[in-house]
Amino acid sequence: MSLLDFARGPALQWAGIIFVLGMVWRTLGIFMLMRSSPLSANRDNHLFEHGVRTVWSRFVPAPVFEKKVSFQYVAGWIWHLGFLVVLLFYKVHVMFFEGLLGFGWPALPNSIVLAIAGVTLGVLLWLLGRRIFNPVLRYISTFNDYSSVIITTLPILTGLLTFTHFGIAYETLLAIHMLSIALLLVWFPFSKLFHVITLLPSRYVLGVKFWRRGVQA
Amino acid sequence: MTEVVTKEELDEAFAMFYGMAASIKDLVSEPVEVSDEERVAAAKRVFLKGIDANLATQLEACVHCGACAQACQFYLGTEDPKYTPIHKLDLMKRVYDREMSPLSWIKKHVLKDITADDLRAQQELVYDACTMCGRCNMVCPAGINIADLVALNRSALSAARLMPDELRYMQEAQAEDGTIFGADEDLFMFRVQDLQDKLGFEIPVDKPKAEVLLLTSGLDIHLFRDATGGAIETLHHMGIDYTLRTDAYEGANFGLLAGHEPTKKMLTEKLTKVAIEIGAKIVIVPECGHSFPAMRWGAAESVGHSVPFTAMTVSEYFGKAVMEGRLKLEKSKEKRVVALHDPCKVGRGGGVFEEPRAILEAIGWELHETESNRAYNFCCGGGAGNFLIERADKLKRAGYRIKMAEIEKTEAQSLVVSCGSCRMNFEVGKVKAGDTLPVESLAAIIAAHLPKKEKAEGEAA
Ligand code: SF4
Ligand code: SF4
Repeated sequence: MSLLDFARGPALQWAGIIFVLGMVWRTLGIFMLMRSSPLSANRDNHLFEHGVRTVWSRFVPAPVFEKKVSFQYVAGWIWHLGFLVVLLFYKVHVMFFEGLLGFGWPALPNSIVLAIAGVTLGVLLWLLGRRIFNPVLRYISTFNDYSSVIITTLPILTGLLTFTHFGIAYETLLAIHMLSIALLLVWFPFSKLFHVITLLPSRYVLGVKFWRRGVQA
Repeated sequence: MTEVVTKEELDEAFAMFYGMAASIKDLVSEPVEVSDEERVAAAKRVFLKGIDANLATQLEACVHCGACAQACQFYLGTEDPKYTPIHKLDLMKRVYDREMSPLSWIKKHVLKDITADDLRAQQELVYDACTMCGRCNMVCPAGINIADLVALNRSALSAARLMPDELRYMQEAQAEDGTIFGADEDLFMFRVQDLQDKLGFEIPVDKPKAEVLLLTSGLDIHLFRDATGGAIETLHHMGIDYTLRTDAYEGANFGLLAGHEPTKKMLTEKLTKVAIEIGAKIVIVPECGHSFPAMRWGAAESVGHSVPFTAMTVSEYFGKAVMEGRLKLEKSKEKRVVALHDPCKVGRGGGVFEEPRAILEAIGWELHETESNRAYNFCCGGGAGNFLIERADKLKRAGYRIKMAEIEKTEAQSLVVSCGSCRMNFEVGKVKAGDTLPVESLAAIIAAHLPKKEKAEGEAA
């Protein structure tokens, strides 16, 4: 079996299985910690609606914090969106998903995807640098933070190298790209990348708690 | 308003009270000796009991982006990364990860267990360097409720018998005699008598039934008599069926501030039972920030069922009355420019924002908002009992500076507050910084703008 066969065969398959099982396990584990609700009367009602409002409103910082944190919100936005666009709208990826799901969707022109991938990579590297050099971030960062950003960056980096046929044989580059995806899938449920499941519900929890007290969070 | 305390009397009482607060450290009992193992086990029990699916979701949602540092007065005032809000939860997260999380089977082997020394180090982070103001909650892209999780940390440290001496002293004293700063029943009655003499009407005490139960606090009994006096005068003016009670007058709850759950519950339960017994529909907590959550969110929990009354803070009760036209206030002759401090536990923690503003509008004062206001307000720097912790002085001053800088920018002639400990912290901060901005009680301001009696009786009818 060649490296490429291994990468797109067992490596990706097992990574996919670990990803799904890990995500389900961790999500259910948290769900099972449910307890009873508070007894004191709410100050305001329509908790669900306001919980959802907080889920949306936290995509941008409140005006009073804009000066201090806007750039990091924007950076977060750019790379998350960039990553998704490249994942879902690069022609080869669309073909891959079509093979997997049985249906496809229109892809974006390669030049655009390439530009987006470049920007995404740049932002991720800049965020990594910031994590290393900013005193607050350096202080609170752990192995989980550094490894997660590196493991997230690898598929974009290797994807770009594969696309540009950089240096070594295309098959080898493609295999490395697929292995980096397998690594990302395996790492996902066990790391802070799991926040894709918890982040929005966490906002909802805050929104409900604050609105119960009469405050729009 | 009838002047219930002169400036000289207040200054004198303040000096005496300040001396009393400063001597707490010498009065505190010897700590009970507990083994390190017991401390760790007790703290863990609290963490594991306190974390549910909601808190676990929040703990698992942090992306370590560091934005919360940009909201916290203690980080902003010191630029020391160790005061980054989320770092204050690291210890708790470690317990969660190792012993409770769905990945505990892995994390147990990767993360070190917590030690008693870790708990000792945690003391500074969750007492001295966090007033549970909740401002960081407002910036976090993951919506993590750091303030409430810090409260759980305080409970864990309290269970591990690692409260700061000052808060332990206050908690132990209040567990024993129900009140704070020695404001016992005799002193309470002395103050009631004193206010009665000055106000010129009888203040109802121990009525067996009343619509409204008015609480006060040791801080007001000793010091801020204008706050309690203002509330009493306004209730009297409105013709409300209210009472003070010798068995339920202390609104402060140092069980809550220290994180001592049994004391917190006992104190709230005691007030709740009296309120139910006298058939109160409303319990007015004094101008004391944390007494609001203690009753508003704690009363039902303390007795294990919903309660037939609503707890309101002074500014909320009278502000609502103004908004609904039940209380008319006279326009001030002077068009004073003021700034308003929203006490964290009442504002961000209780949604009371418009009510105090309605009062200021009714009397015609011009409110200049601080840049951070309402739910984004900065803490006074000494909330959650921190104003008593001596070694936290530098941090308190850092918080105060940030707050005061925003207030100074408003060019206000005075600052209006409706929380005794915020007021106390502002007064101490002013002395230390050489600031002179007058700080006033909202309750006293309301009383100072009550219309003439004849007119008022017509309105109350
Ligand atoms: S702002 Fe929220 S997500 Fe960011 S580090 Fe602080 S707690 Fe974590
Ligand atoms: S609750 Fe307030 S004092 Fe505590 S960490 Fe958050 S911002 Fe800082």
